[in-house]
Amino acid sequence: MGLIQEMFGQSPFGPLFEHTKKVHECVKQIRPLMEALVNEDFDEIHRLQDTVSKLEYEADEFKHEIREQLPRRYFLPVDRAELDRFLKSQDRIADAVEDFAVILLIRETRIHPDLREDFSTFVDQVLRVSTTLMKAAEEMLNLAESAFGGAQAESVLSLVSGLGEEEWKADRMQREISKKMYKLEKDLDPMTLLFYEKILRSLSGVANHAENTGDILRTMIVKG
Amino acid sequence: MATILIIGTALLGLYMAWNIGANDVANSMADAVGSKSLSVRQAVIAAGLCNFAGAVLVGGHVTDTVRKGIVNPCTIAGSLNVSEAEAAAVVAIGMAAALLSAGIWLNFSSLLGMPVSTTHAIVGGVAGFGIVAGGWSVVNWGKMGQIVASWFISPVAGCVCAFIVFKLLGRFVLWRKQPVRAARYGVPVIVFFVTAVVTLATLYKGLKHVAGESVLFTGLGASLTSLGLGALLALGSAVLVRRYLRGKDSRPVGEQLGIVERAFAPVVAATSCTVAFAHGANDVANSVGPLAAVVHMLQAGTVIMKVAVPFWVLALGGAGIVIGLATYGYRVMYTVGRRITQLTPSRGVAADIAGTLVILICCRLKLPVSTTHTLVGAIFGVGLARGLGAVNKGVMRNIFGSWIITVPAAAVLSILLFLAGRWILLDLFTQAVRSSAGTFQP
Repeated sequence: MGLIQEMFGQSPFGPLFEHTKKVHECVKQIRPLMEALVNEDFDEIHRLQDTVSKLEYEADEFKHEIREQLPRRYFLPVDRAELDRFLKSQDRIADAVEDFAVILLIRETRIHPDLREDFSTFVDQVLRVSTTLMKAAEEMLNLAESAFGGAQAESVLSLVSGLGEEEWKADRMQREISKKMYKLEKDLDPMTLLFYEKILRSLSGVANHAENTGDILRTMIVKG
Repeated sequence: MATILIIGTALLGLYMAWNIGANDVANSMADAVGSKSLSVRQAVIAAGLCNFAGAVLVGGHVTDTVRKGIVNPCTIAGSLNVSEAEAAAVVAIGMAAALLSAGIWLNFSSLLGMPVSTTHAIVGGVAGFGIVAGGWSVVNWGKMGQIVASWFISPVAGCVCAFIVFKLLGRFVLWRKQPVRAARYGVPVIVFFVTAVVTLATLYKGLKHVAGESVLFTGLGASLTSLGLGALLALGSAVLVRRYLRGKDSRPVGEQLGIVERAFAPVVAATSCTVAFAHGANDVANSVGPLAAVVHMLQAGTVIMKVAVPFWVLALGGAGIVIGLATYGYRVMYTVGRRITQLTPSRGVAADIAGTLVILICCRLKLPVSTTHTLVGAIFGVGLARGLGAVNKGVMRNIFGSWIITVPAAAVLSILLFLAGRWILLDLFTQAVRSSAGTFQP
């Protein structure tokens, strides 16, 4: 009479948080990458890109595992489609970081001295966005414990709003850097400008996807 | 002669009881063992005590239904144009056949890993022989209808109940900004409610067959006793909980939730005991209901059953369950505890309260239900209230399977055994009945 035993599947929320942690580890690499770029240490960039690639792969493994443990016959306390979207969106964060690393790898781009500090600050802001997402996701297990309601849910929802604000700041910074960089366009060759654009786009991609992920987390909590 | 036949049937009953103890009882303690609130050994001991208590204190109601509520011996006597003694013999054979068929079907399904509910098997068996013995009208279809309805309703009721209880737990404890502070009030309230309800369900209309007529145990006295006992235990739990939770108010919320769960561990241990109690009350009938009929037939020699189910019959069933639990149930309990890791005490409490309520209410309504299905419904209710990480919906298929397969199968088997038994043993039984008619001392 194993009916009662068969009722319980593995809760996905622990593994979901593990995935978030892995992705955040990936995102943390953007600072050493930017430092290496500013210092023109292209060997270091090569090494870091390897690390990012490995981390992104490991995150993918977690993703597959989570999906495998949730066949249709399991009923979840959150909307399954939203959970899938959360996973996919988080995955895109790691993908954006890998894009960034590859962009730095394929061409030895030099950062104009006037722009170095701006790029560093921008990277810090993007990292801040991801850290805020981590804080919200950290509460995942407590959320599951409190059945996605009450004070726990409220604190996560407010963290997610904070996330939106940080992402907006990142967007603003990106605009400022772009304006500054086009003011300097006489000093820069077109290829370099192109690569600056690619760098900015991939970094803001990280922030955007992090913000999206937070939004989906909000939907997961609220809709159930 | 009658004694030999009674002993034979009693052995069949013991066999069924053993099976129930070995396989079924572990489910009632699943919440306590799964949430690691009780060790396997503690659970086995507690389950044994509570099952036995439930069987002898409250088990008479459902047992009464099985022995004379589904197939009324009077009606059989009326519809066959035979002497009362022969009618009694026919009923005795039929009941024994139903018991044997249920036991065989139980083993067969276990071997094949198929779903089976002991309740469904017995009810199917009894109804089966009844139809063949005295025709379609011999079965009390009104009662049958109620019983079958209760099989559908009890899991649903368990689900709804558990959903509500868990939502209440959420609202008053888990969702609070200060779960620890809320738990100080929540735990005693739960203890009060559970104690009062279980006591009332036990005492309502008295424990005549156990404790005699006492003001404490009847009518208004019963209600007051229940409330009083509930208040007493609630106070005790309030003191203990306060001591456990002292100074923990300033911890971060996440940690507080963990602390509250641990505070709930003794509560879920207690509620699982009440489920075991309810299980004993409901399931003992599956083993000794037919035995009670046979005993009456062979001892009283009459088809009119006005006396209550004898205490020793219930005690025998209870003992069988305990023996089954002690010999084989330990292993099942261990497996259950190992495989359920997702359940935390608060979820267990919600599911247990729902299960106990539904099963005990059905017991008092004299309706035999499947305790396992009710618990499944309750756990599902907690899942619907978003309390569990992943709940396997596929289990429903097993439940439907049991409805569709077990009842007809047990009925058919019972019919075959009854026909064989009647052909071979009718004279024997009739003689036994005749020789004891008039010697019956109620």
